[in-house]
Amino acid sequence: MTHAADARRHFDSRGYTGPQIHNQNPVHLLEKPIRDRIITSYYWQEQCFAINEATLCDRAAAMSFIGGTYGQQKPSPFLCLTMKLLQLMPERDIVLEYLHQTEFKYLTALAAFYIRLTFDSKDIFQTLEPMLADYRKLRRRARDGGYSLTYMDQFVDDLLTKDRVCATSLWKLPQRTILEDLGHLEARDSPLGRELDEIDDQDDDIMANGESRSPTPDGYENGVHHSESEM
Amino acid sequence: MASKRMTANPVKPARYRPGKPVAEEHSSEEDESEEEEQVAETRAAPPPKASSFPSDATRIAGNLKKVDLNERRRQAAAEEAARVEAEKAHLAAEEEGFVTEESEEQEDSDEESGSGSESGSKESSSEDEAPKKLLRPTFIRKDKRKDSITVTDTKNADENWAEEEARRKEKADLMIQEQLEKNAVTQAAGKKDWDDDDIEEVEMVDDTDDLDPETERAAWKLRELKRVKREREVIETAEKEREEIERRRNLSKEEREAEDQEFLELQKEEREGKGKMSYMQKYFHKGAFFQDDAKAEGLDRRDIMGSRIQDDVSNRELLPQYMQIRDMTKLGRKGRTKYKDLKSEDTGRWGTFESKGPRRADGTLDERFMPDREAGGRGASGANTTQVGERRRAPEDAPEGPRGDRPMKAVERRDQSPRRSYSRSRSPPRRRYRSYSRSPPPRRRARSYSYSRSPSPRRDRYLDNPPRRKRSPSPYSHGSDKRRRIDVS
Repeated sequence: MTHAADARRHFDSRGYTGPQIHNQNPVHLLEKPIRDRIITSYYWQEQCFAINEATLCDRAAAMSFIGGTYGQQKPSPFLCLTMKLLQLMPERDIVLEYLHQTEFKYLTALAAFYIRLTFDSKDIFQTLEPMLADYRKLRRRARDGGYSLTYMDQFVDDLLTKDRVCATSLWKLPQRTILEDLGHLEARDSPLGRELDEIDDQDDDIMANGESRSPTPDGYENGVHHSESEM
Repeated sequence: MASKRMTANPVKPARYRPGKPVAEEHSSEEDESEEEEQVAETRAAPPPKASSFPSDATRIAGNLKKVDLNERRRQAAAEEAARVEAEKAHLAAEEEGFVTEESEEQEDSDEESGSGSESGSKESSSEDEAPKKLLRPTFIRKDKRKDSITVTDTKNADENWAEEEARRKEKADLMIQEQLEKNAVTQAAGKKDWDDDDIEEVEMVDDTDDLDPETERAAWKLRELKRVKREREVIETAEKEREEIERRRNLSKEEREAEDQEFLELQKEEREGKGKMSYMQKYFHKGAFFQDDAKAEGLDRRDIMGSRIQDDVSNRELLPQYMQIRDMTKLGRKGRTKYKDLKSEDTGRWGTFESKGPRRADGTLDERFMPDREAGGRGASGANTTQVGERRRAPEDAPEGPRGDRPMKAVERRDQSPRRSYSRSRSPPRRRYRSYSRSPPPRRRARSYSYSRSPSPRRDRYLDNPPRRKRSPSPYSHGSDKRRRIDVS
């Protein structure tokens, strides 16, 4: 790709001939005002110029928080690197490598964000749900500039359920139940599988002794339970 | 800051007043700002931490390399030699006086041959008269140059050089050390050049893992359980909806209606149970954005109708009319409207659409809307009532027009005489027609005879029925109207 000091010319969809996501320029997954802020920020112009997937790791290693814009619409390095990834459009293997490496957690978070934006729904669920077991701490920067503590699994959960994360409006993910009905996915195995079973057994005992409960058809109760027993 | 004015206008330079000192505040401020700029520039000078740029540490080492110690050594040696000689000469001069110099002079002049010696001696002789403290450059021959003095000097110089070198090395090391430490500190603090925030360490949330594995794992378990619970709830609500739909289908029609009725009753009760607004209460919309927060605090179903704000008037009706407003902040303000409520401002009457006659609600008649003439009043009014003279007719024995053969003529002739003094009211359509055409009326009104005299129903239609008022009703009676009136029946 051609590297230009002022990237504005390349973000117009007219004349864009590269790979497309959802039939548009991948960078358009970020909103226009956000894009403008990013390309006029110092971090982008200094650090994100002409980097490739390898040198991006250096920058990602220096990241210290996740977040969207803060202060006076100042984009975070996290957001700038996301845009760089969208520009680069790395291959699937590389992205998964970013996700599964354990040394830099912010790089993992970055990869998760990228996956949520670019992969299709089935892949999103399949790749991001294992991340729900990762409870490393992350620093999150809010719009007023203040920091807060969050966790990797919390961040991934936000990516899967919320509409707007890190100053980006995420494209609407179909509900998991719909994908299950279509047969693309199986019901989710929680990492707490066994403990959940125990709790459920306790509940069942209580229920059996106490008040009656409205009968629910077998298939839908305790999705976890059901699949566990199958496996 | 005494010169700073309250207005935000740009400060103009002070005028020159003869005899008064010129204000020099500006120049000093400018100097300060220049200094600040320079300081800022030097602060901004340190390069970014990207690996492509050379770091400060390497630069210092490079500078050190450039230093050529040999040159410095030579310079230092020259300076020292000069210094030492000066001291010695000074001592010698004080102790021995001029004698030594003269004896030296003689020796030199004997020994020197040729080249520079004569000049040297001359110089020395000329300089004899100079003050004692001046050093005289004495010429020493080559074989005599290796004197004890210089030998000892070099030795000292060497030692000094060694010492100085050692010192310089130490200094350089120290400087490098400082620089490295500074780098490490800034790195640790995570301060980047593109980042101009001043977040202290204290505010930064700590994100190191494995500080307390058990607690972290427990917290994660809690979150995971919440997520599973959330999913199950979603499934349950979907299931319940499906059940409900099934159930309703299975009910009979009457039962469905009964359920609907119940629901409607409930709604009605809710609506009526709401508070009623007090007299001229201000309406506050509940807002569109903070609904979630309100719900979290349990405030989403509250009803403020009929409640009184603490510093509001307790009974607005007791206030004078001017002060009976919804929003007391508007009292006395220029933009305040006197609008009270719709019903009091409305000029119509509720419920009725047709109102014959200008009657008010209580049956009184409004004089302004009364017609000027009584009902059924037709005929002329105003200028139309002036007396009209006889119509001009062609003489009796005028030649007949193109339509003279028509039997109509006889009829007309018969009709003419009794109608001679007929007023104009009968012929307004013709008159009007006449007045529109610009041609002067012909003497022989051949055409005019053929027109029927009786007003045709067609023409009557275009008269105003009832006649339109040309002038708006005047508030003053027409008793002072001095125009001649003719009673027209």
